[in-house]
Amino acid sequence: MSPRALRISMLVLATIGLADAAYLTYIHYSGIKPFCGTNGGGCEIVQTSVYSELAGVPVALIGLIGYVVIVGSLLAPDTETTRFATVAFTVVGFGFSAYLTYRELFSIHHICEYCVGSAVIVTILMCLAVWRFLRGAPSARGPTSDVATDAAGNPLGAAR
Amino acid sequence: MSTVEGDEQDLTRKQRREQAREQRRALEEAEAASAQRRRRLIQLGSVIGVVIVIVIVIVAATSGGGSSGVPKTKHEKNENVAAVTSLLAGIPQTAMTLGNPSAPVTMQYFGDLECPVCKEFTLGALPKLIQNEVRAGKLKIEYRNLETATREPETFRTQQIAAMAAGKQRKGWDYMELFYHEQGAEGTGYVTEKYLQELAQQVPGLNLATWTSDRASGQFTNVLTADAQAANNAGFNGTPSFLIGKSGQAGQKYEYSSLTDPAGFEAAIASALKA
Repeated sequence: MSPRALRISMLVLATIGLADAAYLTYIHYSGIKPFCGTNGGGCEIVQTSVYSELAGVPVALIGLIGYVVIVGSLLAPDTETTRFATVAFTVVGFGFSAYLTYRELFSIHHICEYCVGSAVIVTILMCLAVWRFLRGAPSARGPTSDVATDAAGNPLGAAR
Repeated sequence: MSTVEGDEQDLTRKQRREQAREQRRALEEAEAASAQRRRRLIQLGSVIGVVIVIVIVIVAATSGGGSSGVPKTKHEKNENVAAVTSLLAGIPQTAMTLGNPSAPVTMQYFGDLECPVCKEFTLGALPKLIQNEVRAGKLKIEYRNLETATREPETFRTQQIAAMAAGKQRKGWDYMELFYHEQGAEGTGYVTEKYLQELAQQVPGLNLATWTSDRASGQFTNVLTADAQAANNAGFNGTPSFLIGKSGQAGQKYEYSSLTDPAGFEAAIASALKA
């Protein structure tokens, strides 16, 4: 996969995640009252549970901010630092999603489809970001790398 | 000939030098690449490590203290008992109903003893309602059972019946209030026989032998069924849920906007009084 295609795929995924988190944030602020739910209506129950906020901040908003930051790091010029930033943000996002999924399964006992969707997206994003970071700069690979070597002064070329 | 041979020798020497240089360069590049790979892996590892620590801290911080979540010290328990006793002192109790039996307005409070949102209400707006409305004789509150947060139906039955059995001795609200005050973290399985017994021991004046035989009598099973049916009829899908209305009549569904501010409840009670 070319670096460009990889980056575009990640941008698309992050944008879907952003829309997902934006929807959940909207739902959170649209004024559903908190309650402990009977079976059914998973998303509403999860969204109104005590775990839907962390230190008073809705987790949906935290997710939204997370996706904005990830999209930002993908739009920034492709350098070692920005690739590392994407990795760092997606790993944080994955950790946060893992925590939320744990709460859904073991504390709330209800699953919110949108939250699961976001968890899946951020997991794929993290894998892609790690791959992108470990394989390094696009200029150090492929045909461009030969040009770079030539520019560094190849004695073989001079002998020809 | 000799010049050609010399040239050839020169060339091979030159080629060898170039080969050696090339090898050295390849080696250096490989070393640089592996150093960079190592650096990236270390960076990646550090990020993952930091995130794991953060997640563990968040889980610990949001789990409401120890694994059981039940108040630990005798002092805390005594404080809870004192708070509950002074809140309910002198108010008549019949089964799970608190307040003057002839109060003009009745509020039905559908709850699950393990529901943290019910705890929010019980420790939030409810004490003010008891002080302002129940004590004034305007309101009686009936606590009804609706399973939500409790994971196991069997646990739900056992805990709610424990409260109702105390209700037979006109101490159901003491038991229920203490349960909410000492509620553990959701899903931790803190509601054990020992926990229920300890709560009963904290209720001042509760006859434990009678309480134990009442719990086993099976007389509360139909109350649980009736409450579940009533909640279903009202279309309730969560706790806490409320019905407020003139005593003896079917109450109106009350949609709360705050669980800590009694103003909305008081307005609904006032309009039920006028109705």
